[in-house]
Amino acid sequence: MSASDAASPGKPPPFEGLDTISEPDRLARYAVDGIRPSVAVLATDISDVEQAMADASAADMAVVPHGGRTMQCLGMPPQRYDAALDLSRMNRVVDYEPEDFTITVEAGMTLSALQQQLAINGQFLPLDHPHFEQATLGGLTAVGRGGLRRNSFGGPRDWLIGMRMVQADGTAIKAGGKVVKNVSGYDLAKLFAGSLGTLGIIVELTFKLRPQPASDQIIAIAAPTFIDAQRAARAAAETAPFLNGCIALSADAAAEARALGARVLHEEPTIVLRANGLESAATEVLSQALSAVREAGLDGPERRTSEIVETWQAIADLESQTPKEHVRLRLGLPPANLAQAQVLLEEHLNNPAQWIIAADSGLLFVSTPRVDADTIARLRRELGPLRGRLTIESAPPELKSPANVWGPAGAGARLMHNIKKQFDPHATLNPGRFVDGI
Amino acid sequence: MKTPTALVLELIEAIGDDAVVWHDEDLLVYEYDGTIDRGNPDVIALPADTDDVSALIRIANKHGAPVTPRGAGTGLSGGALAARGGVIIGMNRMRQILNVDAENKTALVQPGVVNLDLGIEAERHGLAYAPDPSSQRACTIGGNIAENAGGPHTLAWGTTTNHVLAVELVTADGEVQWIGHDTRDEPGYDLVGCVVGSEGTVGIVTQALVRLVPRPTAVRTMLAVYDSVRDASNAVSAVVASGIVPAALEMIDKMTIAAVEPVLNTGFPLDAEAVLLVEVDGPESQVEAEGARVESILRRFEPREVRSATDHEKREHLWAGRKGAIGALGQIMPNYYLLDGVVPRTKLPDVLDAVYEIAERYRLPVANMFHAGDGNLHPCLLFDEREPGATARVLDAGGEIMRVCVDAGGAITGEHGVGLEKRDYLPWIFTDADMDAMKALRAAFGPTENFNPCKIFPAGHGCGEAGHQHHAQQQIAKFGPKAFV
Repeated sequence: MSASDAASPGKPPPFEGLDTISEPDRLARYAVDGIRPSVAVLATDISDVEQAMADASAADMAVVPHGGRTMQCLGMPPQRYDAALDLSRMNRVVDYEPEDFTITVEAGMTLSALQQQLAINGQFLPLDHPHFEQATLGGLTAVGRGGLRRNSFGGPRDWLIGMRMVQADGTAIKAGGKVVKNVSGYDLAKLFAGSLGTLGIIVELTFKLRPQPASDQIIAIAAPTFIDAQRAARAAAETAPFLNGCIALSADAAAEARALGARVLHEEPTIVLRANGLESAATEVLSQALSAVREAGLDGPERRTSEIVETWQAIADLESQTPKEHVRLRLGLPPANLAQAQVLLEEHLNNPAQWIIAADSGLLFVSTPRVDADTIARLRRELGPLRGRLTIESAPPELKSPANVWGPAGAGARLMHNIKKQFDPHATLNPGRFVDGI
Repeated sequence: MKTPTALVLELIEAIGDDAVVWHDEDLLVYEYDGTIDRGNPDVIALPADTDDVSALIRIANKHGAPVTPRGAGTGLSGGALAARGGVIIGMNRMRQILNVDAENKTALVQPGVVNLDLGIEAERHGLAYAPDPSSQRACTIGGNIAENAGGPHTLAWGTTTNHVLAVELVTADGEVQWIGHDTRDEPGYDLVGCVVGSEGTVGIVTQALVRLVPRPTAVRTMLAVYDSVRDASNAVSAVVASGIVPAALEMIDKMTIAAVEPVLNTGFPLDAEAVLLVEVDGPESQVEAEGARVESILRRFEPREVRSATDHEKREHLWAGRKGAIGALGQIMPNYYLLDGVVPRTKLPDVLDAVYEIAERYRLPVANMFHAGDGNLHPCLLFDEREPGATARVLDAGGEIMRVCVDAGGAITGEHGVGLEKRDYLPWIFTDADMDAMKALRAAFGPTENFNPCKIFPAGHGCGEAGHQHHAQQQIAKFGPKAFV
């Protein structure tokens, strides 16, 4: 259905007065899994979003919200897709109170723009996300995942204190507030964080912030094999629980991260340790971790770098840095089960590549040139007893449906369907892209 | 002799007569929690396991009886009161710590486990359970989850919602499901994030997988005594601005000092206006350096004295005045009304001035103890309920204090919950559309209208004149209905 088809006689056509794109070639960038919308709406403020959603609902048009499009690869192909709702122009700071350590921003602001603002006051939002110069706060909150430092910092849910959303029918609502601790009413911000845009459009977010640490240090140490790196990283995480990052990379992942700007890395299996705080404390934590690494048998030199942000971001970017036709997998599980899970993946996957393991929080990324749905199903079965949850981060559309990007829905599926029915009864938002057909 | 109702008989048949309490004199103890409201349950059921909970909810639903979950009854918003009678499901018999997984830093517990007992068990594994509400010697993990409880040490580590990974939940329809995941990697909506802080209005948690954090290798507690609340507040701001995130940052005022000193021998000078407690923890070298830095900041604001301790016993002594504050208030007046407003931290000094002004105008002594680091105030209005009109004055003053918090850009509750007590004030911070969205979430959990009814949202039908609804209505009329943050 196109925008003009949807108009009923006597009513203004949908999105009248809003800034829209309808030329096919300009719409190409809004394609999701190869499906193009018939129109894109460029929202500049909340009232635009309210109108866009009210119009789309009235015309029964399915809407896919867009931020920086760094994770549009995630999810099942949309069942319907008529309109793109682009929030990237909504990129302003609404309210920033440095002394209160809180900030309110529009959803289209990028993570890097936010960090630049905060750095002026020696503050930061401790979230890692691939391609932070493009990724928007609305988008990364809708995806809702903790990153490589989730052991220390959790995910967007843990830093959000307030949110404004526009519901499927165009009604604007809010949740939470601007104070760092608040139990007034249900915590709807947590419901929307990680809902992949299926319940409403996130238009404004309030986060609590952290002071930048006085010292932030990274050490890289090469290992003979990736298995050695992984084992040493687990030992470091166990011995030095206050580490602020504890990663094992395969040789090809390290090389790719180097190409992306992590100059401290070389093409060899490597562990990367990060610690921050006061200088003496960061040094103490790293030396604890190092002693565990040495005991685990790694004897390579300690390589240090002053390019902390560049190095870390390059590694974070690897999460979604995969040739288009390849399949990128993400596994989350209790960290003690990482080694067993890695063996299973190695066994079943065809030429697995670019391994990243966050050894302190049980997070693993790997890619493969191709994989079939049966293999994914078998892996999920075998990872079940290890409490592993395997999702497909990016894959060619033809694999997504048979392999099921999210895996079988857990015991909460019934409640999730109920929630979707309450918030988006006509499946206007991102239909079919989320768990269990939601 | 009272005769058991059909409902009582069926509950007894389901879980045995030693697990069902229904005689009037036995019900008395379940009429109260930590607030000044009351509820009158018809029957109390004490389940032994998840199946019992499910069966009890189904039986209550069949009889159209309201269900109210209850932990230790220490709640401070009326969440565990049977506002419309019916069945209270008391979780106290499900009190096992089922497993501590030290390597993955998690614990699996039943909801009746006492907060402090989990803390002690975690300690044996070199770990800690971060949320530590002041009632931690009595309050249970189930209640903590319902209320999203905080505590002094949530400044650095976050509140209960940051520490609950997965729960077994019996929903309002009696269905049992595990939601969440060990490392929050279950795809789908954050159901656990919805359940934590839902004040027992969508279901009953029957098991919880919680996150434990590494126990700091060193801890240093500092206590500074000031001659003005403003000096103490400025010291708080300076500590926070220095880039240090203390583990705790607490304050008590003169009235609280007067209450605690004679009972707890804290050694606080009775003419001091404020006592500040700051704790830093972490690796040894960090605690040493941060401790020195915090101490020098505290000294910049002309304290009368600064005390410092690193060993457990001495630290506990420094904490005694804060942790024992509520209990000691009985020294001054027989009753107290404890508020829980939260404001942006920089607004604390102005809001405190307003709190003192309001208390004076209503002729009520007020003791302040609060989580200064995160802007969470606990003004405690002291009164004697036997004095005619005293309760009414307290409730009116409480409403005004909440309004001051809202006008300062804050909220009506930081960690105690809305419950019965503050439900009529919710429209001060949320529109009808906001509250409709919350109700939509509640509806997704089943037939919830009878499940812990009359809580959180402004009173509906059948909730009667519970508690101080009347006063709330007056205050709302006085200040206008809406002041959206």
